[in-house]
Amino acid sequence: MVQKKICLLGAFAVGKTSLVLRYVDSIFTDKYHTTVGVKIDKKQLTVDEQDVTLMIWDLAGQDDLTRLRTSYLRGAAGYIVVADGTRPFSLETAVNMYKEAREFTGDVPFVVAINKVDLQNSDKWQVDEEQLTLLQEQGADIVYTSAKEGEQVEEIFQLLTAKMLVSDTNSNSHPTKTVDKS
Amino acid sequence: MSQTLSSIFQSMNIAVFHREDRDNFKLLTKKPSWLASFCDPALDVGSTVKLGVLFPFLECFIYEAEDVWESGANTPHRSGPWIEFSTHGEELPLEATAIWLDDKPLLVVQDLGQEYYNEVVRLQGFRDQSLNQEELQAEIDNKTKEIRSREEEIAMKLLSAAGHRDHETAAHVRRIGLYAEVMAKALNWDSSIAADIRIAAPMHDIGKIGIPDNVLLKPGKLTEAEFEIMKRHAEIGADMLRGTSIPLLKMASEIALCHHERWDGSGYPRGLKGKDIPESARITTIVDVYDALIHKRIYKDASSEQTALKMMQQMVGKHFDPDLFAVFIANLPKMQNIKESYSEPTATQ
Repeated sequence: MVQKKICLLGAFAVGKTSLVLRYVDSIFTDKYHTTVGVKIDKKQLTVDEQDVTLMIWDLAGQDDLTRLRTSYLRGAAGYIVVADGTRPFSLETAVNMYKEAREFTGDVPFVVAINKVDLQNSDKWQVDEEQLTLLQEQGADIVYTSAKEGEQVEEIFQLLTAKMLVSDTNSNSHPTKTVDKS
Repeated sequence: MSQTLSSIFQSMNIAVFHREDRDNFKLLTKKPSWLASFCDPALDVGSTVKLGVLFPFLECFIYEAEDVWESGANTPHRSGPWIEFSTHGEELPLEATAIWLDDKPLLVVQDLGQEYYNEVVRLQGFRDQSLNQEELQAEIDNKTKEIRSREEEIAMKLLSAAGHRDHETAAHVRRIGLYAEVMAKALNWDSSIAADIRIAAPMHDIGKIGIPDNVLLKPGKLTEAEFEIMKRHAEIGADMLRGTSIPLLKMASEIALCHHERWDGSGYPRGLKGKDIPESARITTIVDVYDALIHKRIYKDASSEQTALKMMQQMVGKHFDPDLFAVFIANLPKMQNIKESYSEPTATQ
């Protein structure tokens, strides 16, 4: 069984914990509960006939009082960079966090989640398409997710896992940790 | 560890470990109740445990802790909280502290309990407030955008009406603003000022309203006297837009006044030179010439893009600011997109 550590990065209240809760426990709550510190969850999945255990590190969102503690990122094999489609600044924060993370861990696979896509048809939806195009040009995969509806949640974890496995095949720079099945 | 100290740690539900080596830690205190959920029931004082395996979070923190132990500094270094779930699903907020004490590398792990939840409440309050502020700001930004868009539409309609007299088209007016905005953004202007130039630049020729028909609409070359009259459109335009506290109109006034000034000082009305000419006007000069060259007018055919750029290149340092022309060239694909998106109506051809 292959084990991979992934980290969720993003501003506060973009839905990182909700994405993990939806993915791991199939739960969603509308009330915002701030994350303090780090929560680690585990989830097993199979991608391309490969069994993988994801160690999902849900890091506290960034704001004026909480900065990214890069030592938490040690050993990360991938990132989900989360932004809230209704909060324009959250994409910039997420991208900046990713850049900071990349300086610490080097180039590891990542995907960008534009969360709360259930609000896409409301007045609140404010995604800077130009910024997204720039990210795509830099090789980012962008997935519109909704932790509330469960939309694309499973898929984004699958996509990141597939990217990590491909990255393993292509390079030995981020070796996979293999653990006993027992 | 003294028995008193050990009792104190026990009463505080704290586990103290001695670092044996990179992976192994010896428990120095009695096993606190929370630890029982995660380890071998046999683990007790004196037992050695692989903390990084027990708590994956600590695998990361131990790297920071090693620095503390290596330096021998007795300032405690805290990990920050992390959450573990007991076998019964109970949430346990834990925190580790690395400390060098009595020449020993120690790792103190404690259940933060209520202290953690107090911090959650404090941060939750702060973040709820930040979210409210963000929401209000977003609402203000949306309303501002709506107002600006309305202002822009009114300005464009009026400009297009004014330009109708000398056959300027609405598309030309719109393009000048969009080209200028591209330049402003490339120059890292503040986004609201870049949005201002989008509306202000198209007003550069508004003073032509004050030029008599026999001069403005004269087919063929103007006499020297007629050209002197024509040149007055710069000052007329500036006068029309002057005397306001609205930044956009102030910018429009300086553009109207200075868009015929030249980098080498040979322009009009004041013969300003180099950077004495406002940047907004220097930008407008370049984009106005570009648009005029590549589009057909009653008095001339359209030049090809290549010919136009060649002609413009010859004007650099004389007519145009060389630095701004370089920015213009660097953003040419964006200019071409604007040209394609806002083309002239076929009826004018």
